[in-house]
Amino acid sequence: MKRYILRRVGLAIPTLFLVSVIVFGMMRLMPGDVVTRMVEGHGYAPTLDALRRDLGLDRPVHVQYLDWVGGIVLRGDFGRSYWTRQPILDEFLRRFPVTLELAALTILVSVVIGVVIGIVSATRQDTAADYLGRVFAILALSVPYFGLAVLVVVLPSIYFKWTPVWTYVGITRDPLENLKIMLVPALVFGVTRAGPIMRIMRSALLDVLRQDYIRTAWSKGLSERTIVLRHALKNALIPVITLIGLQMPLYIGGSVIIEAIFRLPGIGLFFFEALTKLDYPVVQSVNFIVAALVVGLNLAIDLSYAFLDPRIRYR
Amino acid sequence: MRRLTIFVLVSAVTALAAAAPALAQTPKRGGVLRVAEREAPSLDPHLSISFLTHSYVSLVYSQLVRFPNGPEQKSPTDFSILPDLAEKWTVSRDGKTYTFNLRKGVRFHNKPPVNGREVVAEDVKYSLERFVAKSGFNTRFEPVVGIEAVDRHTVRITLKEPYAPFLNHLANPSFCVILPREAEEKFKDFNHPDALIGTGPFVLKSYDKGVRVVFDRNPDYFMKGLPYLDGVVIDITPDAAARLSVLRAGKAELPHIWGWISPEEAKSLKKTSPEMVVQPYQVIGQGFIYMRTDQPPFNDVRVRRALSLAIDRKAWNDALLFGEGCIDAGPVPCALKEWKLDASALDPAQAKALLGYDPTEAKRLLTEAGLGKGFTTPMFHWPGYVPPWRSYYELAADNLGKIGVTVELKPEEYGKYISTTQLGKYEKMAMGPSTPFTEVDDFLYGRYAAELPTNLSHVADAELHKMLVAQRREMDPKKRKQIVDDIQRYLADKAYYIYVPQWPQYVAHPPYVKGFQHHDGYGLGMRLAYTWLDK
Repeated sequence: MKRYILRRVGLAIPTLFLVSVIVFGMMRLMPGDVVTRMVEGHGYAPTLDALRRDLGLDRPVHVQYLDWVGGIVLRGDFGRSYWTRQPILDEFLRRFPVTLELAALTILVSVVIGVVIGIVSATRQDTAADYLGRVFAILALSVPYFGLAVLVVVLPSIYFKWTPVWTYVGITRDPLENLKIMLVPALVFGVTRAGPIMRIMRSALLDVLRQDYIRTAWSKGLSERTIVLRHALKNALIPVITLIGLQMPLYIGGSVIIEAIFRLPGIGLFFFEALTKLDYPVVQSVNFIVAALVVGLNLAIDLSYAFLDPRIRYR
Repeated sequence: MRRLTIFVLVSAVTALAAAAPALAQTPKRGGVLRVAEREAPSLDPHLSISFLTHSYVSLVYSQLVRFPNGPEQKSPTDFSILPDLAEKWTVSRDGKTYTFNLRKGVRFHNKPPVNGREVVAEDVKYSLERFVAKSGFNTRFEPVVGIEAVDRHTVRITLKEPYAPFLNHLANPSFCVILPREAEEKFKDFNHPDALIGTGPFVLKSYDKGVRVVFDRNPDYFMKGLPYLDGVVIDITPDAAARLSVLRAGKAELPHIWGWISPEEAKSLKKTSPEMVVQPYQVIGQGFIYMRTDQPPFNDVRVRRALSLAIDRKAWNDALLFGEGCIDAGPVPCALKEWKLDASALDPAQAKALLGYDPTEAKRLLTEAGLGKGFTTPMFHWPGYVPPWRSYYELAADNLGKIGVTVELKPEEYGKYISTTQLGKYEKMAMGPSTPFTEVDDFLYGRYAAELPTNLSHVADAELHKMLVAQRREMDPKKRKQIVDDIQRYLADKAYYIYVPQWPQYVAHPPYVKGFQHHDGYGLGMRLAYTWLDK
């Protein structure tokens, strides 16, 4: 086990090294230059050169790379934003919980809606309830979440002089106020993500309900509720869970627009704005931290198998 | 005697009638004004040229001199010069030495490490020298050769030559705010919220990044009685639709740092929220097609005139700007009325080349230039500018196509656009808006003087250059205006840039917001110092 963990950690190092090289290189390959972006065509050569020196951009690229990576590895220093000159890690740690909370609530909303409608649709196949459920799924699939978000923000403001846009309050400061702020964005995002979950849930449940062991359960005289919830649902949920896993990048990626519309100070917006401002250190470091988190999470999941299933042994 | 009595009575009634609304409009103290706006990219006024940065920090800082605001201003483009930290100033007869006498007893905000110490001449010297060393706008100080603290309250600035735009640049909050040296020494620059220490009407209370910025009234502000508001809150709202929604829902008083909304939004807001004040302003702004006039085919004036005659400006104005735009948008923008030479004062043939629409004549000119079969040109641009820009690019391509000029629209990513096309590094042709400058020199010398990166059309015209230099060296405003008029006459039919219509800007706020007057001078602090809430 110890050797396995060491080997996996060892494998993570080249992965993160590659990530660092790719994000660093990609930023340098982006068209434009952060210094001219900062002065937007107003600065003349001497000012631009001074700014480049100030930001350390006059040094050779490999020196800049080593400086950045060296800061992370040796001092845990992810650098400072070129624009705000503030430490990136502080800003990341402040913003990351907002995006995580939004993603968690969105998953919760999409799973609850998708699974419930999926079950009703499958158990009432070809009835009005099924058709309604399918119409909902198609609607949820075809309405873009950013369009729905704008409608939810704009329409009540026109007709009721009300809008679900509040000033963000952290969960630790006031959990109830925080929930009020996060609920509408999570509902909007979650509803549009519930469509695919509902469709998969329905088809998986229909498949399971035709299995022999379900027929046996019926013949034993069990109630529909017991058959569906205790015998069929568990097996039908496997593809749903796979789908949620596959949708994870969408939850994080989609947070950019949701955060902008509902003015949530999350990581998506931080990253997006840094990208448009060519704030190299922010884009590099945020990418690197997220990649490190994914690598760490995968490792944790792999290790958890051993605890969940005693038949699995690592060498 | 009777006549006199009647006259006195009538005068008294008239005076009372005139005073009544004024009395009703006596500003009230108190209240907090909420603004929905994007986050400023940074807070250091010298390390960013963003209008958001300068608008945010203008609440906190003062300058030596400033533009009028609120009841002081005659129009949104009134750029007369008023005292700010300098209570008076003198200019030497040769126009090369400016001496400023500072107000005595003005103190920085009472925050560490400055702790409310008095503003002195050394602070002015430090701030202006830092501007020269660091700001992207520092070319405005190119003629400055010396900044000297003569004594505790006197600053002398020496120029190498007379420079008429100098006071305007000093009054521009984007350039010359006065900063305390201790804050930079402690925080390395002025980006840290705790470094935001000035002498302006508001004091930064808190900055929750990505969420909200809170300013309190400065109780020690040197303009007694101002500001009227107890505070200002900027709620960070990145999305434009959300900004308008919070205005409608009563969660913000301004849907933009200057209260701006687009013409389409103004129409919609008037319909859905008729109680809102929606005021149109002709603001400084300009858009143009620019081209490599140093290379064929655009080095031929007939080709450039043909392009100008192909643009149906009236149709653009009617279709996209509800007929409210200004067609005569260049070379001096419509809103810079003090300097603008109206097209009616031009020779009709010249005016036609500047503003006219005549595709038949355009085709004839192209044939005369040997391009009767037309030609193909790329048009570089950034598609992300606010409406109606995307429609502008398409309309330009369509109009030019009708005279045989095939335009290939070449959208660029912003970083690339700003660091290449916007610096004049492009092939053949490009299109986009101009920065709304406050000084006419930026629209003339800046756009037409040879070798400048802002000379986007690569104009190299010796006769014009002489006039451009002369207007910036002429210190007598009347004589300077004559030269500026001559330049406009000279440029009218040269078509170095093809100017397109400019739209009015709408300012929206609830009716209880009083005294908020738009001014094109970039600062928000003084605008809000005169703003009050009638509720």
